[in-house]
Amino acid sequence: MDNTFFSYIIQGTAITVAVTLIALPFGLIIGLLMALLHTYGGKALNRFAAAYSLLMRGVPPIVLLFILYFVLSGEINLSSFWAGSLSLGIVSSAYQMEILRGALLSVGGGQMTAARAVGMSRIQAIRYIVLPQALRLAIPPWSNEASIVLKDSSLVYALGVPEILRRAQQLSANTQQPFLAFGTAALIYFVLVFATNRALDYLSERTKLPTHP
Amino acid sequence: MKRILVLVSLLVVLSLALTACGAPKAANHLEAVKQAGVIKVGTSADYPPFESVDESGNKVGFDIELMAEIAKRLGVELEWVDMPFDSLIAAVQENKIDASISAFNYSEERDLTIDFSDAYYTSEDAFAVAEGFAGAIVNPEDVVAYKIGVQTGTTQDTWLTDLVTAGTLSEDNLFRYDRADQAMLDLKNGRVEVVMADKVPAEALLKQIGGLKIVYTGVLSTGPMNIVLPEGDVELQQAINEIIKQLQDEGFIDALAVKYFAE
Repeated sequence: MDNTFFSYIIQGTAITVAVTLIALPFGLIIGLLMALLHTYGGKALNRFAAAYSLLMRGVPPIVLLFILYFVLSGEINLSSFWAGSLSLGIVSSAYQMEILRGALLSVGGGQMTAARAVGMSRIQAIRYIVLPQALRLAIPPWSNEASIVLKDSSLVYALGVPEILRRAQQLSANTQQPFLAFGTAALIYFVLVFATNRALDYLSERTKLPTHP
Repeated sequence: MKRILVLVSLLVVLSLALTACGAPKAANHLEAVKQAGVIKVGTSADYPPFESVDESGNKVGFDIELMAEIAKRLGVELEWVDMPFDSLIAAVQENKIDASISAFNYSEERDLTIDFSDAYYTSEDAFAVAEGFAGAIVNPEDVVAYKIGVQTGTTQDTWLTDLVTAGTLSEDNLFRYDRADQAMLDLKNGRVEVVMADKVPAEALLKQIGGLKIVYTGVLSTGPMNIVLPEGDVELQQAINEIIKQLQDEGFIDALAVKYFAE
């Protein structure tokens, strides 16, 4: 049991971080779009966004992962890394949508009315008045989602992406020291989640508006 | 609002476009592999001594070395794709990988959706118990009296599940594990009383773990080991079968068996 054992698991950290860094922003873009459609989109778009949220939150991430990789693979040639990252992003987008929708709604309706009254279009009002406040409010609940995606990124091992968990499994099988292998994996995940949460707490503190206590 | 509508329709068009332009299928898989100069082979590298990773992360084992030689004789590079055992057959079906070698045993069920190469090695089943095991397993069916552990998706799993379906083995007594080593560790910890596994890897695991012994061996669920190939891929199958025959005639496979199984 020498250093190569640990460095083998730690190399997987780069892949875990990469999967998360693809899934989270991808989910944020779709989630934000869907939240806007749901809140300001009129009846049809509203229904569409609500159905999307219901469907994606109702399917376990691993099932969606298998569907994207094995079922749609004849049509779209995705590598296991991208299929895993994107499907995690899609699952997360539904949760991020709900977070952002809550934040959009918590910016009072009076703000929109006031913005329209000074001559802004609806889009301008959303872009310059509602969104800047809503995105700030969304940071604390969003940091929760960020740590969930980071931890769920371990699911891509099922497609053969050699991230932390898969490497720990291999070493556990090879050395018969499951505690050491999985303990190392747990420690790395903990450090990653802890660092992410602290960074987002800091961001939230720095961007706080004086009007929002 | 218009801009959002444009965005949405763009997304829809993009996804339709992605769906339409699937990769064109080569008429002959073997030629496609040779043209690419690389064969992608799937394995579940957590099953020593057939396939595992050593401490520096290199794949090692009987299947690994055998496949390296087969790729060399096909005249192509070998690219390993590591995934859990459960995912391998689906990956071959969906052409995510060109073939899979992972101590697969032939079974009629599996043969429906994928093809097999000729056998490259023949294995037996084994029942492992703890050193202090008080029961007795004379006939293989005697195991139904005990708590049994098995690796999910293996031929042993199928054999035991058939006993459950037949009503002789209680579902509550069957414990399925992701990997064989987990089953063996639980056997040592006393959570199960018997583990059914491939004889060769079971012996290797027993040596590593200690405190366990094998009480019965025989050909029950397993038998010949084969490389998994896409359904109807006759050319690749023929090419690989010829190489397996060569390797058997030259004594290459026997030498590998001695190296990894110490027979």
